Amino acid sequence: MRNSTRRRRIGASMGVAIGALLAALPATAQEDIYRVYVANEFSADITVIDTATDEVAQTITISDRPGEVRPRGMAVSPDGETIYVSVSDFYPELEAPEDKILAINVETNEVAGEFRAGGNPERIAVSPDGTQVWASLEALAQGAGYNVATGERFAVHRVGVEAEGVAVSPDNKWVYVTAEATHTVTIIDIAANKVAKHLLVGNRPRVVEFSTDGKRAYVSAEIGGIISVIDTEQQVVTQTINLGLDSRPVEVAVAPDGKRLYVAGGGTSAVYVIDTESNEVIETITERMGRRPWGIAVTPDGRRVYTANGLSDSVSVIDTSTLQVINNIPAGRGAHSVEIGVVPAND
Amino acid sequence: MQGFDEPNVPAAKLGEAGLQTSRRNYNGFNVPTAAPVILGLIMVNADARRSSVFLRFTDFVRKGAVFGSALAALSMALCPTVAQAQAQTEPLSQIHIGVILPSTSEGTELDHAVAQAAQQGVVLATEEFTQNATMFGIDFAVVTAEGEGPDVIAAAEDLLAGGDVFAIAGGFDTEEGRLLSQWANEKSVPFVNLFASDDRLRNELCAATSFHVAPSSAMYLDALTSWYVRAGLRNWFVVRGEDEESAAQYERLGRALSERHFGAREVGHAVLSPGVGLQDDALDAIASSGADLVVLLSPAQDQLDALVRLEKRNLALMVTGFPYAQAQTRAFFAASRDAAPILGVGMRALAWESTLDAYGARELNARYMDRWDQPMESAAWAGYQGIKVLFESAMFSSSTEAEPVLSYLAAPSSIFDVWKGIGTSFRPWDHQLRQPLYLSKIDPAATETRLLGQLVGELPAIYMPGTDPVERLDQIGDLPGQSKCRL
Repeated sequence: MRNSTRRRRIGASMGVAIGALLAALPATAQEDIYRVYVANEFSADITVIDTATDEVAQTITISDRPGEVRPRGMAVSPDGETIYVSVSDFYPELEAPEDKILAINVETNEVAGEFRAGGNPERIAVSPDGTQVWASLEALAQGAGYNVATGERFAVHRVGVEAEGVAVSPDNKWVYVTAEATHTVTIIDIAANKVAKHLLVGNRPRVVEFSTDGKRAYVSAEIGGIISVIDTEQQVVTQTINLGLDSRPVEVAVAPDGKRLYVAGGGTSAVYVIDTESNEVIETITERMGRRPWGIAVTPDGRRVYTANGLSDSVSVIDTSTLQVINNIPAGRGAHSVEIGVVPAND
Repeated sequence: MQGFDEPNVPAAKLGEAGLQTSRRNYNGFNVPTAAPVILGLIMVNADARRSSVFLRFTDFVRKGAVFGSALAALSMALCPTVAQAQAQTEPLSQIHIGVILPSTSEGTELDHAVAQAAQQGVVLATEEFTQNATMFGIDFAVVTAEGEGPDVIAAAEDLLAGGDVFAIAGGFDTEEGRLLSQWANEKSVPFVNLFASDDRLRNELCAATSFHVAPSSAMYLDALTSWYVRAGLRNWFVVRGEDEESAAQYERLGRALSERHFGAREVGHAVLSPGVGLQDDALDAIASSGADLVVLLSPAQDQLDALVRLEKRNLALMVTGFPYAQAQTRAFFAASRDAAPILGVGMRALAWESTLDAYGARELNARYMDRWDQPMESAAWAGYQGIKVLFESAMFSSSTEAEPVLSYLAAPSSIFDVWKGIGTSFRPWDHQLRQPLYLSKIDPAATETRLLGQLVGELPAIYMPGTDPVERLDQIGDLPGQSKCRL
């Protein structure tokens, strides 16, 4: 009963395409449904793309004041069933009514809840157990932790100026927060609830992501055109991967098997593919890429990479077996970030 | 919103910023203000006592462990020369920077606007980089002195002797830039030129210890030429002063038109005598020349006077002028609009535009607005970036010794983020910072100070995939073959 009810909701929200797909598939052959969520900072909405068809399934309105309210960073819960979106206004005041974090139910594509996150939250990360959301508060130069169940802020720490990227380590012990203006990564000890260390990385660090085994963290430096590789045990920068001065890397995504790092190169309209064993660029994808890819995400099965392209208002789809762009999908204005949500097959 | 003509920087606010200001008057005598203590340093230490984070970092900086390793790795990647120097030094414990600012209590309203903006930019940088330095357990201070004209040398001497500074930033006109550049070279002190655009400072007067955050005249003129040629303005009348700087600008503008940005030509020029405005014979020459653009290579106040006279002639053309520091202020924009409601609302070249809304500029402009309730103008941007460049040179070279700092500044691989959306670096042949410039249109009706100008252009455009970013930035300014600098 529960399952059938939920299925009906899916069908209603996703439209004919998903319904037809589910009907056509034998029950035993059903796979997880992936949905791509794209935060469009200028149109103040979220584009939802069905990966089975690579078509836009829905557009979720975040605000009826596009140009004033901007959704930017996103994160997905460990089970894939909730997408979190950081929302702020365009003027990075210390506090604004728009500053908050939204939770979108992947199954229904509805906003299931929200909590306050004052200080211009730019990017967010979810803890591996799904109980915490951490945000970079750009205007306040802070990293803050929130209880997902209550929305209560349980931690706030001073980080560098223009806080941006945030990631929680797979072992749930550390939070890394980047700061664009100070070229720093601040490491927060979650259990002790205190700052453990600050590291210098490349010029204008944007996004930080951990490797799947948690032994390394990758930090993109937009102006430096590099990826800093941090040894998370020693908490030092051990290597620098040079992508070129003009590459302007922003979001990075680690493949589920941990063997590749995909980097959105906004300045060159390229995606850089890095072998994580050698830390060398093995492919630079430019053909058919949308303009200024800013966000990037890999499907949980590792077969596709999706990029949010800010200047062409589009999403490019990359086949990871051929490392070629196989599709371009229209998104909203100013596609900023992208995440992949999951509706389990046995749901 | 505070009006442009009502500058109001509470002294208390400046004090909170951790700045020490000593004052030198025009006769060269020290005007005592504060005891020679470095408030920035005191502030850092006071914060440190309250901060367990700081204590922890002080501890590990003393041990020279992780921070040193991270810095070494980054330095190695960025600059072998710097990395070698860094490997021989202890972890950095102190960064003191000296800044010489123009007086906020002297000069015209436009002079005041420049001085105030520069001071405010320096304060914001001091606050933000104090935070950064504190994260790494580094004592940081910006020590400022007011000085203009020949007094800048004495001010620099004071800063070096009393402020324990490792570098100097300043230079708001040619004379100050020349004097400070020569002084710094004799003393082997790194010098960052904030606003002196004169090309001679990058050519026959260049120095190995001088680095120019200020865009050069050649860059401004190339940018103006490119913009107006693209806009279809083909017949240019040039008005210049009798002084050497103006003559050099005129010569360089001619080269820009004839050698670099084809499509327009000079249809006439006039020379302004000192203290004498645009006279009837010059106005007649402009009217009969067929000019569609008048370029004023004269100081800001002379540009305003010329606009009044041109407006009275009801000429159907456009007017722009050389972007001296005073002409890059919202106060000038308002005065231009008041002086000539039709011809005075044209486009202006700027080093920084407060309506720039990309590349993180939104955040910097907003922080400045939050701090001062005024838009960030070019002089404020220059003051901020001058400190940033010197701070990062010390941080990334892990030294405040002249040699490693100068090596870092000069290294082509040293990248500086100046909120213009692209990594910038100092040109090796003349130490000019490569950077985009902006074109702002004076708004005929805006009442909000920030919106007196509206960003309408960027040159070079930085988003050009498939082209070399350094070559892209070198589209404006003098190339090595044109340089007379021998470092």
